[in-house]
This record gives sequence, structure tokens and C-alpha cells, in this order.
Amino acid sequence: MMRRSATAVIERDTTWSGPFATEPWEAAWAGEAIFFVRQLSTEDGASCDWLTARVQISPDGIRWVDEGHELILRGDQEMAFVRVGQFGGWLRLAGDVRDGSARVIVYLSLKE
Amino acid sequence: MTPIPGGPFRPLPDIIFADDFDRGLEGWTGLIGNYEHSLDSVLPGFRDLRPPMLSNATTWDTGTGGGALGTYSMKLATRARRQSLAVGIKRLTFSQACPIQVETLFTFKPEASELRLSLADVGAIGVILDLQDDRCRVMPHLRYRNAVDGQLAGHWQFKHRAPSFRNIGDSGETVSHFHLGPDSWDDVPNGQQQLCYNEIATKQNWHYLRVGFDLASMSFTALQCNDRHFDVAGLQPMTMPAMPNLWCMLNLVLFAEASADRRAFLYVDSVVMSADFGAVQRRDDP
Repeated sequence: MMRRSATAVIERDTTWSGPFATEPWEAAWAGEAIFFVRQLSTEDGASCDWLTARVQISPDGIRWVDEGHELILRGDQEMAFVRVGQFGGWLRLAGDVRDGSARVIVYLSLKE
Repeated sequence: MTPIPGGPFRPLPDIIFADDFDRGLEGWTGLIGNYEHSLDSVLPGFRDLRPPMLSNATTWDTGTGGGALGTYSMKLATRARRQSLAVGIKRLTFSQACPIQVETLFTFKPEASELRLSLADVGAIGVILDLQDDRCRVMPHLRYRNAVDGQLAGHWQFKHRAPSFRNIGDSGETVSHFHLGPDSWDDVPNGQQQLCYNEIATKQNWHYLRVGFDLASMSFTALQCNDRHFDVAGLQPMTMPAMPNLWCMLNLVLFAEASADRRAFLYVDSVVMSADFGAVQRRDDP
């Protein structure tokens, strides 16, 4: 049986500064996931020193706890990712943008 | 051929698709406004949209609710912000300009982030077809307006007045119009309906919806939700001149809108689109 997969663009052309969290995403059908955070260029060259994001899981999509994995994206990097498995029913990223802002597109790639 | 889900479905003779979200997203995807060169050119109303997800409808107090006919449904989730939209779309083309029918089992709920009824926190849920024949682009719009500004409404509505197009980018080849806004909706005559919401935000009851539309006459033929059959004689679709790249387009759109600063969720267990191909021959050879 071919494994099903789906990539969701969970943030698109969103500008983060300071603390952030992505929208709750249901992923109970999937066994593995990768979050990609890609930094988009800005006309005024605005950037940040770095961005950190922690994978969080939840039993209900409302209350969240750190899963243990995280990613770091430096201001001069285009993209970073973090892999996660055995996450139950819900996933999101929560993190912080230090010293500036980041214009991002965020993908959640899920696979059975 | 895709098997028809059980339940209340009574499709026309020819099945175009029968989507069961226990099998995956079945070709449903997110909507994006048109753009050129940069995402900055997307019209504001289209910018903050996310694609559908697969849900097993798990709640904090009772666990997994599942779907109407299985485990998973397609879920459209708004942001926790008043008038935030969530939109899912499936894109096809039609092979015959004949009567078609859309049937779905759906339910809607606000995020159960407060221990209260939250009955009026979902603003609206709706269904749109996006069609084009040799002459016109036609966009039948229907929605169930559940509430506005925290007050219950409980009325079916349609929209036929088209917003103006805006040029996108600098090539002269791309235009866009934001037709999903809260403006210009008209009440379906005698379109009041109270749906079973149940007594707390975590209890879901599934509803049956049937929409009929004739691609030959480009007019509504049916609107049924649960036991109510509404008169569609006075309903008009949004109509505009044909566009260069959309011939025989047959898109189906589902959407949800928040009425409060709380996430609104539309769950769709299954969708069946059917057609009556024989109607063309019966019309030509009476």
C-alpha cells in the first residue's frame, strides 16, 4: 500500500517578531512529520538575528507542551527544518524571533 | 468507480466523485488569491488562509468523536479572530453541461477553549461552485449564516452581486476579485433554519446538505439541508464575463467564517458530486 502524505502550508507570507505560535494542526493520521521554516526576502531587507522554534504536541489542540525537538534559523539562512514522530493527534511550532522580524512561509509535511 | 458512502446520499445517476476523508484529503486543497512576482500582490482577503486538514474530532472532555461514517473528516479551521475565513477547494472541469448535485455530511463547531455553549461563535459555513461555459463565469454562492457579532441568525443566504476585479501585477494577464467577504449576501426566501447544535461545544451532530445546479441553464435546482427543502426559484448565481483560462471549469469550494475571536471549525465527513449526463440527450431528443 502506498503511504499517504500531505504537505500543509500553515503560514504563508507571515511576519513574525518576538514570540509566535503556529495554528494548531491535526495530524493523528500521520506517523511522521517535518516542519520547514523558510525565510522570504523583504523589500526593505528587514531580518532577524535568529529564530528558534520548538515542536509542541497537545491532547486537544488547546493545551500545549514541548515535545523536545526544535529548530534554529539564523538571519542569513533561507530554511531550516525539524523532524518529529510519535506525536499523537496535534502539532504546532512555538518559538521566538530575536532582534528583528522574519517574513516566513512554514510547511508541515506529514506522512503515514 | 469510487463507492458511494452510506448515509443519506441520493446521488444523480452519474458519479463525478465521492470523497470519503477516511481515505485522505481526496484532492481538496487550500485557496490562494492570484499573484504575480510576489505574494505581496495577493488581495488581502486571500492572504491568511490555510489548507484543509484531516481531523478525528478529538475534544478535551470526551476524546475522539470521529466522523459521521468513519474516523476522519476534512476540517477547515479559521484563526481565532472575528470574520477570519477558512476555505477548501477541489478543482475539476465538466464534460457535459448538465444538472449536477453536491451532497455532503457536515458539522461545525467553535474551538472548545471556554467552558460555555459558544453557540454563536461560528459566523457562517458555505458552499460555492466556480464554473465557466462558453459565455460566462458563474459562481453560485450559498451560506448558512449561523450568527453575526455574537447574535444567532440561522438563515440560508446567497450572493449574486459580483465584486469588481482588480489587476494583479504588471503583465496585464492576471486579475483577482475577493468574493468571499461578508458583504452583499441576500436571504434565501423562507430560508430560516435551526440546526442541531447540541448542548455543549464538544458534542457534534452531523448534517446533510444537498445543492443542485444545472450547468446548461446555469441556475439553481435544489437546496436541501436535513429535512428542509428551500425554494431556489429566486436564487441567482454570481455571473460575470468569461475569463481567458477557465473553460469548462468546475470548482467546488467549502468555507467557514468565525463570528467571534475564537477558531471556527467546519468538519466535512464526505462529499458526493453527481451528474445526470442523460439529461443532455433527453433535452436534444425529447
